[in-house]
Amino acid sequence: MNPSLKPSSTFSLYVHLPWCKAKCPYCDFNSHAADHIPAARYARALIADLDRELPRIWGRRLHSIFIGGGTPSLFPPEIINQLLSDIRARLQPLSAMEVTLEANPGAIEAAAFADFRAAGVTRLSLGIQSFNDVHLQRLGRIHDATAAHRAVEKAIAAQFASFNLDLMFALPGQSTAEALADLNAALKYKPPHLSLYQLTLEVGTPFASHPPAHLPDEDTAADMENILRSELDHHGLGRYEISAHARPGQKCQHNRNYWLYGDYLGIGAGAHGKITQVEGIWRSRKPSRPESYMTDALSDMETLGEYTPVPPAERPFEFMLNALRLTEGFSSRLFTECTGLDSLLIEPQIRRARREGLLYADTEIIRPTARGMNFYNELCARFIP
Amino acid sequence: MTEQQHIRNFSIIAHVDHGKSTLADQFIRLCGALTEREMSSQVLDTMDIEKERGITIKAQSVRLQFKAKDGQEYQFNLIDTPGHVDFSYEVSRSLAACEGALLVVDASQGVEAQSVANCYTALEHDLEIVPVLNKIDLPAADTARVRTEIEEIVGLPADDAIEASAKEGIGIREILEKVVERIPAPQGDANAPLQALIIDSWFDNYLGTVVLVRVMNGSIRPGQRIVTMVGQKNYVVEKVGVFTPKSLIVPALETGAVGFVIAGVKSIEGARVGDTLTEQDRPASQALPGFREVQPQVFTGLYPVDSSDYEDFREALQKLRLNDAALQFEPETSQALGFGFRCGFLGLLHMEIVQERLEREYQLELISTAPTVVYQVITTDGQTLKISNPAELPPVQKIADFQEPVISANILVPETYLGPVIALCEERRGQQKNMQFTGGQVMLRYDLPHNEVVLDFFDRLKSVSRGYASMDYEFARFESGPLVKMDILINGEKLDALSWIVHRDVSERRGRELVTRLRELIPRQMFEVAIQAAIGARIIARESVKAMRKNVLAKCYGGDISRKRKLLEKQKEGKKRMKQVGHVEIPQEAFLAVLKSDKR
Repeated sequence: MNPSLKPSSTFSLYVHLPWCKAKCPYCDFNSHAADHIPAARYARALIADLDRELPRIWGRRLHSIFIGGGTPSLFPPEIINQLLSDIRARLQPLSAMEVTLEANPGAIEAAAFADFRAAGVTRLSLGIQSFNDVHLQRLGRIHDATAAHRAVEKAIAAQFASFNLDLMFALPGQSTAEALADLNAALKYKPPHLSLYQLTLEVGTPFASHPPAHLPDEDTAADMENILRSELDHHGLGRYEISAHARPGQKCQHNRNYWLYGDYLGIGAGAHGKITQVEGIWRSRKPSRPESYMTDALSDMETLGEYTPVPPAERPFEFMLNALRLTEGFSSRLFTECTGLDSLLIEPQIRRARREGLLYADTEIIRPTARGMNFYNELCARFIP
Repeated sequence: MTEQQHIRNFSIIAHVDHGKSTLADQFIRLCGALTEREMSSQVLDTMDIEKERGITIKAQSVRLQFKAKDGQEYQFNLIDTPGHVDFSYEVSRSLAACEGALLVVDASQGVEAQSVANCYTALEHDLEIVPVLNKIDLPAADTARVRTEIEEIVGLPADDAIEASAKEGIGIREILEKVVERIPAPQGDANAPLQALIIDSWFDNYLGTVVLVRVMNGSIRPGQRIVTMVGQKNYVVEKVGVFTPKSLIVPALETGAVGFVIAGVKSIEGARVGDTLTEQDRPASQALPGFREVQPQVFTGLYPVDSSDYEDFREALQKLRLNDAALQFEPETSQALGFGFRCGFLGLLHMEIVQERLEREYQLELISTAPTVVYQVITTDGQTLKISNPAELPPVQKIADFQEPVISANILVPETYLGPVIALCEERRGQQKNMQFTGGQVMLRYDLPHNEVVLDFFDRLKSVSRGYASMDYEFARFESGPLVKMDILINGEKLDALSWIVHRDVSERRGRELVTRLRELIPRQMFEVAIQAAIGARIIARESVKAMRKNVLAKCYGGDISRKRKLLEKQKEGKKRMKQVGHVEIPQEAFLAVLKSDKR
């Protein structure tokens, strides 16, 4: 194996909490609708899962935790509190570790924001999506505009070190003016971070099989996006990834680690992980059905889930799939460290993309141009082995 | 051995769907040639495609023993005939081997053009024709009207036409009795030198070339040294036999008999349909009349979608050619499509069948270029050139006369649809030659430029007449005209595969239709794509495909890699199936656009 393969300098933990009150028709994450959540048992399973992983990351310091879902804010704060303590007892965190929790703007969850803060959550990510009742309904969201506003207010009041608002655009029947109104409603709260996603009909979702009516066409959506992103820029929220904007110093450390092809553990139902060891890169995937995940995790099985190596041939594509999302780009040294491969290997594609105005590349850095970001899929596909 | 006067050789003339195969099955059943278990439906059509489409492509024959009510045992040789205009030469050879024919007409639909044409061919060969009204069990059957049509259009007395239903088994014995009664026994002289007409030949993996013959004079038996009178090829007969329909080796094929000959013939080239077999030692004084070389009428370039399939493609064509003398091919290269073959066919159906077989039996994925008919060019230095590929056209200044093939078409159409059918023929630059009203149908005769017919005329004819119109045609002549070559340019680069010869008067309309259709078929790319139709340097139509704005996954986080990867791989896979012209990716369907240039 190539000796230059190096574990990443940053290292993260992803925790998946797979339950929601209701499943949204556009969502393709591993989430399950449930009235009752077996929170305590699940938390025990998570730690049992983590305990099995520990030997693989011996000695590495933790840079971030991301508790995603599902709707993690449906978990009682005391369970989150216990979970975070249990994690800290096993993984040595950096002093200023980012701990993000995903939350939806439901009434019960919002009431608990302060308690999450007290439990050690430093960053709240709120799935607002829209401040427009009609559009929220079309998206199948269970909250309304009033709840959305109240949730943001609660999040601000709880004084997280940072928070993020998720917004979507190109919604069924949405005009550019309406999309802009949504964005301005969000900007009033001066969020440190905002993720703006175009609604995508993901394979296997109800929206994919029964697309909603009146989706804006390709051109309208592209125009809309340009207007919205420059508005964000205008308000000091610079774009640092295809869909993510942040004020200076407020980038999401956890996600940035993914995009720099860093290492992370994934615990929880259906969670994915990626760890670089001297002899290679390994991906892990945990059982995705919550019930079987818990049963297996709490059993005396030696390993949980599947571990597959990432062969060298597939690494350039995986690396690009992540790194080309970032406006900051990457250095060829990072490519070599993360993949264990000579950067000469990607030279032809890089040169061609530069000629076509899709990439900027000098001796130090390679990064997508604005056009390159628009044709990210095209760029990435060129690295498929 | 059956006495010559107890032999009856006949064919069934019928339109597709009028029940020919079902009727043949009933004959086989009634004569007890196969057990019930062996009777898979429609025994005579052996190829899958034939069964599916209900069209007979290769002639087949079956020998049946029938005990008639006169107490005598008769030997029937039923010769199946191809049922499509593309194979009319093979039809004429099959009919030349018979003394009679059954004209089977669907009693609900009436006479149709192909059958009329075949009847005329049968009458030219002095065949006795026995009309049969099939499908009388259908509620829509109108035997009186159809009798009138047979009398007025075909010109045959139809008062004694047999009413039958092949499906229900009605009238089967009556038909066979009528065959005994009306169709004459073969003439022929058993002591004369051998003369056997080759009706068909095909390649069999075990037997080599199987040659189906009708013995006109003399007899043929193993050990005999024979020669093909036109092809001048010598063989020694190894085996002779008949189909019952199972193949059965017999000691000899006597005068009047129909059967097969195995004689070490290497390929069907060595025993061509229409040629005559005779003895080397005691040759007949002349060959049987009517032999001609079969010439392809329609040409197209065929290219493998995946260029690495090229060698497999060549092999597949060679194998198909073993059984299809009319199929021609030679290597060709296209800038857009890479390496392929220029292929010649008898007609569009023949082309479709070959393409389907290549795709189905040989698992090849193919792209075809615009089909073209064979033009004739007289150059300024007096040469006559046959042009079957627009790329081979000499420069304009070298063309003294540009001629296109014109066909003479007979169309039968119920009166209700006469208007739209005439409109269609006029739109296709047709010249009306005759119009005749009969029972319920009108017989139209039109002269039509072949290139106006070759693309989608049949489909359009069927669609404007709700499937009721039928047509038959034959080559009439070459006619001079203002013909031009139209090129399609994609971002300024010529898409050679879509070059096309058209009449100047319709060129602008055709050009507009084609670029419009291409605009719909070419997906948006990272840059704008200009699509132009041009005659020489003159642009006659232009459309553009706007640039794609973006192609980007909105979300991608740690766990998503494998899913997103699949998505992008799928996108990439889709592109691989496209052909690259310059930087533009063109989907396969675009190459078929030219086939469907008419708006609904």
